[in-house]
Amino acid sequence: MRIYVFSPGLRIWHWVNFLTILVLFGTGLYIGNPFFSGPPGIEATHAYGEGLTMGFIRKIHFLAGYILLASFIFRVIIGIFSKRDRMVLPRFWTRDYWSSLKEITLKYLLLKKDSDGREYIRNACARTAYPLIYLAILFMIVTGFGMYGLSNPGGFWSSLLGWVVWALGGEFQTHMWHRWVAWLIIVAAILHVYFVIREEIIRRNGEISSMINGYKYFEKEPADIGDLK
Amino acid sequence: METFWEAFKRHGVSRRDFIKFATTLTGFMGLAPSMVPTVIRAMETKPRVPVIWIHGLECTCCSESFIRSATPLVSDVVLSMISLEYDDTLSAAAGDAVEEHRRRIIKEYWGNYILAVEGNPPLGEEGMFCVVNGKPFLEHLKESAEGAKAVIAWGSCASWGCVQAARPNPTTAVSIDKVIKDKPVVKVPGCPPIAEVMTGVIMYMVLFGKIPPLDSQGRPKMFYGNRIHDTCYRRAFFNAGQFVERFDDEGAKKGWCLYKVGCRGPTTYNQCGSMRWYNGLSYPIQAGHGCIGCSEKDFWDNGPFYERLTHIPVPRQEADADKVGAVAAAAAVGGAVVHGILSKIRNSKKREEV
Ligand code: HEM
Ligand code: SF4
Ligand code: SF4
Repeated sequence: MRIYVFSPGLRIWHWVNFLTILVLFGTGLYIGNPFFSGPPGIEATHAYGEGLTMGFIRKIHFLAGYILLASFIFRVIIGIFSKRDRMVLPRFWTRDYWSSLKEITLKYLLLKKDSDGREYIRNACARTAYPLIYLAILFMIVTGFGMYGLSNPGGFWSSLLGWVVWALGGEFQTHMWHRWVAWLIIVAAILHVYFVIREEIIRRNGEISSMINGYKYFEKEPADIGDLK
Repeated sequence: METFWEAFKRHGVSRRDFIKFATTLTGFMGLAPSMVPTVIRAMETKPRVPVIWIHGLECTCCSESFIRSATPLVSDVVLSMISLEYDDTLSAAAGDAVEEHRRRIIKEYWGNYILAVEGNPPLGEEGMFCVVNGKPFLEHLKESAEGAKAVIAWGSCASWGCVQAARPNPTTAVSIDKVIKDKPVVKVPGCPPIAEVMTGVIMYMVLFGKIPPLDSQGRPKMFYGNRIHDTCYRRAFFNAGQFVERFDDEGAKKGWCLYKVGCRGPTTYNQCGSMRWYNGLSYPIQAGHGCIGCSEKDFWDNGPFYERLTHIPVPRQEADADKVGAVAAAAAVGGAVVHGILSKIRNSKKREEV
């Protein structure tokens, strides 16, 4: 059974998000711990515009930050207007959520075979993990623009998000939080990629290509098919 | 009480020097040059304001800084302009006599005097970790604040807690705004604050009869509106990616950016980069040492001072975010590979037939 799962908007958002986070993580690691020096033998005043300098890398980070913000807003909007794009939300209040969570946990603990039990377009484990990842990204945006704004106290970003910096115990602590959660996102991304590959190999359901063409394959009708229609 | 101009005349200061001083002062207070006539008028007409200056749990570095204020005559003039009625560290008198005087001033100028607080109250053991004149400083502080028009929190101790409030804070030392809630508190953090900043704040309050505009944390905007990093003369090296790696390397000799040896300039709000210290002579970064963030909240807990990233408490290891993060990422990859292989075996067709 071939089911259309991911809308074009969601697929575009996914890859934009992938690229920006990769760039943000790479540049961010450098910003907090510059592990190579800028071009040697040049007057610092002129080095600013030459090659991979701190100034340039920070500029890329902020640019990617704006793109991440825009794509996040886009993601929320398509989620509001299309049912299909709301599938990430966990439904704690249903019994199905809890039984699915139990089932998927047993499968991941290898106590059950993946082909046993019900099939889901998106199982309860994913529905729990994805919202947390969205929260982590939102956290990065909020702390990122909070810090960004404080080079101009009283300006737009600092009036909007300056409070975040103080809620986290000051600007220095905010930098540290921004860095810890950056690593958290990377660990989550590694696990995400792993589970996608695992799904593809074990169930041969077109998991990897689904984020390109939008379709996944199922043997039986998925239990959460109602969330799509 | 006499006005500032009268006090100046009494000190033999010429009209010309007086105008010069008013102009400098206007600059220090962060006001536009068009405000000079206003400042001069205020100095000619405003009577001096009584100040009560008390000392709690502290090291007195704020007073040390203040009396070294290098701007024209500051130590002399400011001390005679504000009428400093009580300062148990500077005054020659001591004991009951001077305490009696404090109570008299509080009564006489109720609602009109400025309370300047250096140091902070420890709350532990009912305040007995710091005793002034036989009573806990906590009581001394509350009693002195009751009739004050406004309160100045000198230094990081009074503003944030500083070293005595660093983890685990054995005496439960707290910033004074945790104790004084019904008065405007102007925070002038720094360990110590720059003398000219202290002068600027107190002169603003005396001349304009109100507290200066404050940011969300209660610090005067004109002095704490910029990061050291954004006013630092080594900033070009930061942007160019030229960093000191060790204090004895080539970069250190060339005066490169101190970010990698722990400089806290990027997260510290103070005037060191622009006003500098000792009448603009220098400041720590100019001397080759990173900023330790002395005017920031909890800066003692944000160590180590010579590293950019704080340590994460991992048993028997020195670990920061990158080390823990890299290990976690490697563990995730390793775990994924192992789990993947096991999953493959578990779900293989062969096992199904068995
Ligand atoms: C998933 C997204 C993001 C990741 C993985 C990420 C990663 C990082 C990392 C690792 C740092 C270094 C932290 C430090 O040690 O100080 C950093 C710094 C920073 N990031 Fe991000 N970041 C993200 C999103 C954003 C966004 C959306 C903004 C908004 C503009 C932003 C603005 C900043 C700023 C202002 C800094 C401090 C730069 C400096 O100190 O010079 N970040 N980021
Ligand atoms: S020395 Fe410190 S304050 Fe100056 S540019 Fe470098 S990091 Fe910023
Ligand atoms: S450079 Fe930093 S640590 Fe040094 S006095 Fe200024 S604010 Fe304090």
